[in-house]
Amino acid sequence: MKHLFLLTALIIPSFVSAKPASNMVWMPETLNFVENGNVQKGEQLAQSCASCHGEKGISAMGMFPSLAGQTANYTYKQLRDYADGKRDNPMMNSVAQGLSDQDSADLAAWFQSLPAAQNKASTQDVSKAELMVNQGNGKKILPPCFTCHGASGKGKRMDTPALAGQQSEYTVNTLMAYKKGTRHNDIYSRMRVIAKQLSDDEIKQLGELYQQMK
Amino acid sequence: MHIDPLERKWVLVSLGMCALFVSIIMIDALFHGVNAPSNVETIDSRKIHLSEEFGEDNLGVQVAENGEITVRMVAGRYAFFPKEITIPAETKITFRWVSMDVLHGVHMPMTNMSTMIVPGYVSQVESSFPRPGEYPMLCNEYCGLGHDHMWSKVSVIDKEEWDASRAASKTVTSDTIDEEQNNE
Amino acid sequence: MNDSTAKNLALSHMWVAFSAFILACFMGEYQVLERSGLFDSLSSPSVYFASVSTHGVLMAFVLTTFFIMGFGYYTASHSLKVPVWNPKLAWFGFGLALTGVVMAAIPLLTGLASVLYTFYPPVQAHVAFYIGATLLVIGSWVWCAIMVVMFYQWKQANPGKTVPLAMFATTANAFLWLWTSTGVALEVLFQLIPWALGWMDTLDPGLARTLFAWTLHPIVYFWLIPAYTAFYVFVPKQAGAYLFSEEAARMAFIVLVVFSLPIGFHHLYMDPEQAKGWKLLHGLGTFIVTLPTLVTGFTVIASLEIAGRLRGGKGLFGWIGTLPWGNPMVLSVILSLLMLIFGGFGGIVNASYAMNAMIHNTAWVPGHFHLIFAGTTIIMYFAIAYYLWPVLVKKPLFSKSLALVQLWTWFIGMSIMTTPWHVLGLLGQPRRISSVQYNNLLTLSWEPYELLMILGGLVLLGSACLFFYLLIKTQFSASTEPFEGIVEYAEPLHEVKDLPEYLNDFKLWNKVIGVLMLISFGIPILQFFFMDTYGSSGWGY
Repeated sequence: MKHLFLLTALIIPSFVSAKPASNMVWMPETLNFVENGNVQKGEQLAQSCASCHGEKGISAMGMFPSLAGQTANYTYKQLRDYADGKRDNPMMNSVAQGLSDQDSADLAAWFQSLPAAQNKASTQDVSKAELMVNQGNGKKILPPCFTCHGASGKGKRMDTPALAGQQSEYTVNTLMAYKKGTRHNDIYSRMRVIAKQLSDDEIKQLGELYQQMK
Repeated sequence: MHIDPLERKWVLVSLGMCALFVSIIMIDALFHGVNAPSNVETIDSRKIHLSEEFGEDNLGVQVAENGEITVRMVAGRYAFFPKEITIPAETKITFRWVSMDVLHGVHMPMTNMSTMIVPGYVSQVESSFPRPGEYPMLCNEYCGLGHDHMWSKVSVIDKEEWDASRAASKTVTSDTIDEEQNNE
Repeated sequence: MNDSTAKNLALSHMWVAFSAFILACFMGEYQVLERSGLFDSLSSPSVYFASVSTHGVLMAFVLTTFFIMGFGYYTASHSLKVPVWNPKLAWFGFGLALTGVVMAAIPLLTGLASVLYTFYPPVQAHVAFYIGATLLVIGSWVWCAIMVVMFYQWKQANPGKTVPLAMFATTANAFLWLWTSTGVALEVLFQLIPWALGWMDTLDPGLARTLFAWTLHPIVYFWLIPAYTAFYVFVPKQAGAYLFSEEAARMAFIVLVVFSLPIGFHHLYMDPEQAKGWKLLHGLGTFIVTLPTLVTGFTVIASLEIAGRLRGGKGLFGWIGTLPWGNPMVLSVILSLLMLIFGGFGGIVNASYAMNAMIHNTAWVPGHFHLIFAGTTIIMYFAIAYYLWPVLVKKPLFSKSLALVQLWTWFIGMSIMTTPWHVLGLLGQPRRISSVQYNNLLTLSWEPYELLMILGGLVLLGSACLFFYLLIKTQFSASTEPFEGIVEYAEPLHEVKDLPEYLNDFKLWNKVIGVLMLISFGIPILQFFFMDTYGSSGWGY
């Protein structure tokens, strides 16, 4: 049986069924649903998030992301990806499984309504990161980060996240996770493909640069 | 109504020139299969990552049982996935393109591998590449501020090299299977 | 006859047109400098694409539409020797169109409508952009209505007489524009605006592209017909002779109008939403529409030859030298025809069905349309402006020699800028990029051409400034003595006798157009309503 499986896997590749990185589909119904999330309900639900993600969605601990000012679509998608296991984190998996679609939309709306974190300018060298953010890298076929994440790092349609003001440690962890492939809910590996091409130093600098961005 | 005889002659010459161009195009189209892309096929661009055909594991170069080569690619801001592919020279390649977001265009410079990629539609083009080499595949329709950076790489290798490497991988596979059979 | 209304309408429209033009010229030079990559401080995709979008809208929609309307009002009134019909309506149309321009300009200049002048969805602009564009088009329909009314009123008042050629051409253009703009109007009214307002969640980009393609080809003939009008009604007189054949001119205008419409799919050759049968049909029609241009070339050159020989030119080519090259209108037509040869050749390449794959969406395309439109067509707009301005402002042209310098530099600059642009396309450079980022040896071959284009652009910018300066000086210089300019129309070499009614009217041709449009676009558009199509939501950029 084992060699039959190998035979199938190696010689007839096209019969492998698609394993999508995420099940999120941005149909208009979904977009409207998220847009109509209830901010007040979200505020109530968010009370139990504060211990890790901070009172006003601004985290005090480097490894927990700030959620304040994050685009609603992105927050919603992450919660749903946590719920169906497309994104792995033991804490968040169980949290998200306890949230309905409506809860997720309400929370997303609430966090989007909050002002993003405003951090002091970094004292470290961020020159490499600035190059990546503004010019990209032609050799590595990497577009500048701003083209998807916005000139002020505030994110864009449909679901590219805001990065401005984010905890540097969290950003670095995320990029490293993409680089290693342990985070894999980006469709067509679009962030993994980028992160694999970034050096560890560039990643550190990107964390610093986006943390200070206003 | 008066038309100068010289002008009449010119009209005939002009008609003749147009007729010549049109005939060449028609003959090539009807008898030599030289046509603009023609496959009208719709697809829900929002769900392609969930689909069989354009799921992430099904992209890239695939050789069917009868030897026909199909390349399936997804265009999405700002890359063509997969970013690097290898195909044989002097062989008919069928490309199937979809977009995950907005309008894109793709062209391998100085070849006829050129098509628009319209969300909601599958673009299918056939090309063959006489000369081996490293070709870029460039996005040529405005798709956002990162449009300049949207490109990918195509390695066109000698047909012999391609056939040899496919035969080698088949041998390796059957060797492995024989080994496993012997080990069981 | 007091034609001050016609003159005021003409002047107002043309000032809007040429103000848009000069602004857009500066943007054009910025763009070619930015794209070369030689000036790091300029490098910015967001500024570049906002500039390209604005430049395209100003040049392709504002300069053209306003010039054509202004020229049309004056020509209708002057050639028919009647006052403009319903001046209040005319001014209303002007106001509406201008409001539209301002409404679209704000998002364009603030980076909220960086969707380029083709605005293909599902990249989405601020809704004010689409509404502004709509108002501009509706304003232009007011002009069309007035032209058609004046045409038919004159025919009623002059039964059995031939409509003056200048008005025949202008009215042909008005009908052409009504048919042409319908495509984009449908796209904007039924897809883009409801979608941008959020009344519609999605739209089908394939249908949007098809509707825009309806407009995209005939619009260039809408722009071109005033240039051909000048070729036929002004040039022969200015050269000192006669129009070789008025019948051929009328036939050319008709074939141009009829066959420019059902051929838009040569803009969609590489698209997946239409099949090859339709593409081939439109390609065939595209070759047919080269005929009136070939006939125009013959008729105009024949008229010039007669003029040259009357002035003493001998031998096969001697007549070229004896033409009055010092007359701006004559110089313009010579330079325009030279650019038409190469621009037309490029157009034939684009039209050639499968061969289009080699140049589709490469730099060849903007190279081509700058040569044929900014070159062939716009140089004639300059010539018309130089000819009409003294009549409109009752002052002599400020400097004929500077006008000649301006025309020559426009031609030289255009040649220097567009020739490398075509080559870049053949070398595979895509269009609509703001910088060269591909890490491939191919891009090294592009650099010398980018440099040449900067030079060409600088010459053009200087020429554009000189043109604008000449208009201002002509209009605002203190006049020392009273001046009355006159507009003279060329007389035909052979008196026009027994002109068939189909060369004096449009009823038949509108029917023919209707049938051809039904054949060429009927099923290709209807198909979208019978296929399973999937819509796209709006995306940013």
